[in-house]
Amino acid sequence: MILLLLAISLVPTLWMLSMAFKPIAEWSASGAELTWWPKSPTLDNFRFIFGQSSSELIVSLERTAARPIMASLLAASFGTLIAMTAGTAAAYGLSRFGKGSNLPLALIQLRLFPPMAVMIPLMIMWAFLGLIDNWFGLAVVYGIVTLPFAFWLMKTFFDDMPREIEDAALVEGCSRLRVFTRITLPMMRPALASSALFVFILNWSDYLIALLLTTRDWVTIPVYMTSLSSSMTGQLYGAKAALGLIAAIPPVILGIAIQKHLVRGLTFGALKE
Amino acid sequence: MVMKFASTRRKFLSTTTAAGVVAIGAPFYLRPGRVKAAEGLADGMVGGPTGFAGAERYQYGPDSPEGRAIEAARSLKAAGKAPERIVLGLSDGSIGQITQPFPAGAPSIKDLWEQETGIKLDIVGVPNGQEFTKVMQDISTNGGAFDIYAVEWNRLGDLAETGGIVNLDEYVAAHRPEWDDVDRGYVGGEKGVSLLNNYRGSTYGVSLDGDFQTWNHRTDLFSDPKEQKAFADKHGYALAPPKTWKEHDEIAAFFHRPDEGLFGSTDLRNQGWGYTNWYQRYVSMASPNQYLFADDGTALINSEQGVAATQEYVNSLAHHSPDAISWSWPEQYGNFASGGAAMTCAFSNLPKFLDNAANEGSKVTGKVGSHLPPGRVHGDEMVRRSVLWLNLSASVSAQSAHPEAAYLLLQWLGSSRIYSWMTANPGGYFDPFQLANFADPLVRETYHDYHMDVVRETVRRTVPTINYPGATAFHNALDENLVAALTGSMTPEQAMQNTERSWKRIARRVGEEKLIEAITANKAAWSDHMDPV
Amino acid sequence: MSEMSMEKAELALPATNDVIDEEVRLGFWLTLPAQCLVLFIAVFPILMQLYISMTDWSPLDGIPWYRAYELWIGLINYTDLASDSRFWAALWRTFVVMIVCVPIQFLLGLGLAVLFVDEFPGKRWFYSTLLVPMMVVPAVAGYMFFLLFQSGGPVNDLLSVFSSSPVRIAWLSDASLALVAVMAADIWQWTPLMFLILLAGMISVPQDQQMAAVLLGASWWRRFVTIVLPRMKTIIIIALAIRTIEIFKIFDTLYIMTGGGPGVATETISVYIYKVTQQDLIWGYVAAIALVILIVLSVVSAYAISTMSKGAKVR
Repeated sequence: MILLLLAISLVPTLWMLSMAFKPIAEWSASGAELTWWPKSPTLDNFRFIFGQSSSELIVSLERTAARPIMASLLAASFGTLIAMTAGTAAAYGLSRFGKGSNLPLALIQLRLFPPMAVMIPLMIMWAFLGLIDNWFGLAVVYGIVTLPFAFWLMKTFFDDMPREIEDAALVEGCSRLRVFTRITLPMMRPALASSALFVFILNWSDYLIALLLTTRDWVTIPVYMTSLSSSMTGQLYGAKAALGLIAAIPPVILGIAIQKHLVRGLTFGALKE
Repeated sequence: MVMKFASTRRKFLSTTTAAGVVAIGAPFYLRPGRVKAAEGLADGMVGGPTGFAGAERYQYGPDSPEGRAIEAARSLKAAGKAPERIVLGLSDGSIGQITQPFPAGAPSIKDLWEQETGIKLDIVGVPNGQEFTKVMQDISTNGGAFDIYAVEWNRLGDLAETGGIVNLDEYVAAHRPEWDDVDRGYVGGEKGVSLLNNYRGSTYGVSLDGDFQTWNHRTDLFSDPKEQKAFADKHGYALAPPKTWKEHDEIAAFFHRPDEGLFGSTDLRNQGWGYTNWYQRYVSMASPNQYLFADDGTALINSEQGVAATQEYVNSLAHHSPDAISWSWPEQYGNFASGGAAMTCAFSNLPKFLDNAANEGSKVTGKVGSHLPPGRVHGDEMVRRSVLWLNLSASVSAQSAHPEAAYLLLQWLGSSRIYSWMTANPGGYFDPFQLANFADPLVRETYHDYHMDVVRETVRRTVPTINYPGATAFHNALDENLVAALTGSMTPEQAMQNTERSWKRIARRVGEEKLIEAITANKAAWSDHMDPV
Repeated sequence: MSEMSMEKAELALPATNDVIDEEVRLGFWLTLPAQCLVLFIAVFPILMQLYISMTDWSPLDGIPWYRAYELWIGLINYTDLASDSRFWAALWRTFVVMIVCVPIQFLLGLGLAVLFVDEFPGKRWFYSTLLVPMMVVPAVAGYMFFLLFQSGGPVNDLLSVFSSSPVRIAWLSDASLALVAVMAADIWQWTPLMFLILLAGMISVPQDQQMAAVLLGASWWRRFVTIVLPRMKTIIIIALAIRTIEIFKIFDTLYIMTGGGPGVATETISVYIYKVTQQDLIWGYVAAIALVILIVLSVVSAYAISTMSKGAKVR
């Protein structure tokens, strides 16, 4: 049973993996023959998206994938930073001193709301502020839309954390802020790491927001990927898959790095006794 | 205030790059430009590409549209009225024709412009299909990201109504682009210019494309004696590219062998593109044309002809890929390249890309032929119709600080010498549409002789799609209902009824008076060419 | 929960005014950034949408949004919306995707979590592999699923193994099957998250009670239903809530796979809004849609949270 599920879940992933190494003749979106595994594996797809293909096959590639990768990294990381900073601070503030604030509810509503529905005012605002096609502008939106996750994950951890340690430090005369930065936060490192990974994945995956808020210099990986098509060969599936494979690297590396905490990190504190 | 902010940002952007531009551009500019280029220029020519055989065909004298544009741009520059750079928003797939040198030894179009004028050309790629979206975004948010927009010609009316693009009449009068030149200009002369570049009597765009939908077939299949015999035995007439829709459907059915990876005909059936093929079947239903609207603005689609065309359109799915409804042109081109179809209808660039020795992925190199659109017999004549659809056309943004310089670039780019040279370049989507293009040896080499003549003849049999305000909405309404008919969730009758109802609503919103004027102008461009039976 | 800890804190510390002041100030400053961000993203858009939703404004009209009053039409957008069958159909479709995908993801996730609670050889490897779909960028998943579901694609190829004749289903060209295909993509991509959250919940169920139950001779099923599941109640609600919320907004993979087609067969609420925004360009109407959704969501979420927190207090 588990093997079957695993096998099914692997099919699309392996399909992408194999596609990334297939030469054009085997992409076969439309031909008769289906190629499961590359018959003549090639690295051309990877070379192509970094602008080093010698093949004249494909209509000019004006932009290599390097810059979109950088744009994605910057926007997603900075967005994560914004969400985690504001979210952690608010979660701590609310968990320790907050009463009757409507922030938690507002944040849930924020997450619930389809970003598509606020895109018009957002585009107008961002154009006014000069933040269109700007990694920072994108990062701010990312920070805001993932803030609810950062907040709720961190709040449950703070709620969960025994207060005695903090109290002891307070009695010894540390200031509240010092307690937070020197004692609480270090203790929360595993929680911070797993929340940050989750938030990062959400930011990293986004297609819609980047589609509407970037035009040239800061298009992200998903937006760039949609432009990989040519009239010689149609959609460049191999190149897309190669890029998709590269795009999976950061989340996977981060995932491995914090594997230990990953499971504990997603309990939302729901299990404390 | 928004405007002010945007323009200061633009200034900031341009000054940061100014240093670099001056460093590169200045030497060329200060000593009247063409020190290096001049060596290769033919007698009496003041500019144009050099360095390859036949380059003189694309060079120009002082009294030519290109020459005037360059001179005017230089004097703007000398007077300090020219921008450091012109930002051109362009679909990703077309950029290559401007930035890649072609043929060997030539400069790129971009280099030549920068060299001759000292004004930097900055091209911003826009994903295919996102052109109009990005432009509307720039206009509605006052983004100011572009000097020139390049969008589908169908949207010209919509764009002009927004006030987001500049009325070019003044510049056209001053710099005389000669688009209607009888030997070199647009097909149909003044009428052609009016169709492609004008809206309500004024120039708003400069055509940079020739998207006359053209039919292609596989010559290896059509000339195979075995196939010929089998076909003749079955249908009683010789296998040849179809002249009528009936023949088309029979030939498509004959070649339809999905198990061998061959489909009969793969003209598109998806949302956003498929209806161009519905148009062809619909328009040929009457002589000289079955129009979409009567002169008083009444929609004519909910009629016997409309239903019949839709029924045929749905029936034709039988000789398509089972995935036809989800295929867009990237799949269509990919399939045709892999030898997956006997016939298809596509942009005129299909042979340029797929019948191309440099295209290692194509299995049909040397096996592509072109034919005129199928038609219908009315009396003792035949009506064969194709459509003009999409067709990139460039307009100057109202937010541009230097509209005149931007226009001059378009006049230079869109005039027959430079355009022939550009369209011959296989690196992008700009297709030939001027008389000079069809006759140019380099263009004919890229697009192939067999194809160029068919395209020129197809142009004579072409009717325009909707290009007046509400075009997007009109097409969307038709499109949605046609797809509904294709998926079987509506009958052809219902589809046409629904479309008529939506069109009435849209017409009310656009304003019927404005619409009738535009419909009449559009109708003037419809072909009335008849073929013998 | 936080109120509980608050009371404890007051007991533990000498409640001098200084400390209280400091805490209030700190609480204010700590929540300030989040408050600002929320206000920043909420105030202007909501006010603007409220304003333009009363107008017939479209960017095609050639006037900037703040002059939209020239096209004032009152509440017509709202009455239009009430009778806009495409909007309601899109909403219904989104709902269908939700009620199909969320339970399947939940059951698959729960089943996998049960298997992964115990040790078995290769567990670590299986575990990592299972999480991979979550790490694949949805855009590329969209393209890969487009290919997988072609009539000559791998899905049909696999199905052909179980059938005597080759299977040639045109998934994405069939109005009813296209929805199945996009749901399959969503289930593939997000079951891992469900699994991860539920596994976290399951691991944290104390072993001692289970051991006691084992000693009493309770069957595995009985233990699972009477001890494990009740203790996981909150985390199950959270897991279901997260996926419900995210599926409501489903766009990326789906849009790349089908563009909402064929026709409107896979048009969800986000795709519908996208089309009205980018193709029909009637932005006054989009604003009305956005506000209606906002109001409905606020009511639903406020209700859901008050029920949930009541539940939590009872516990």
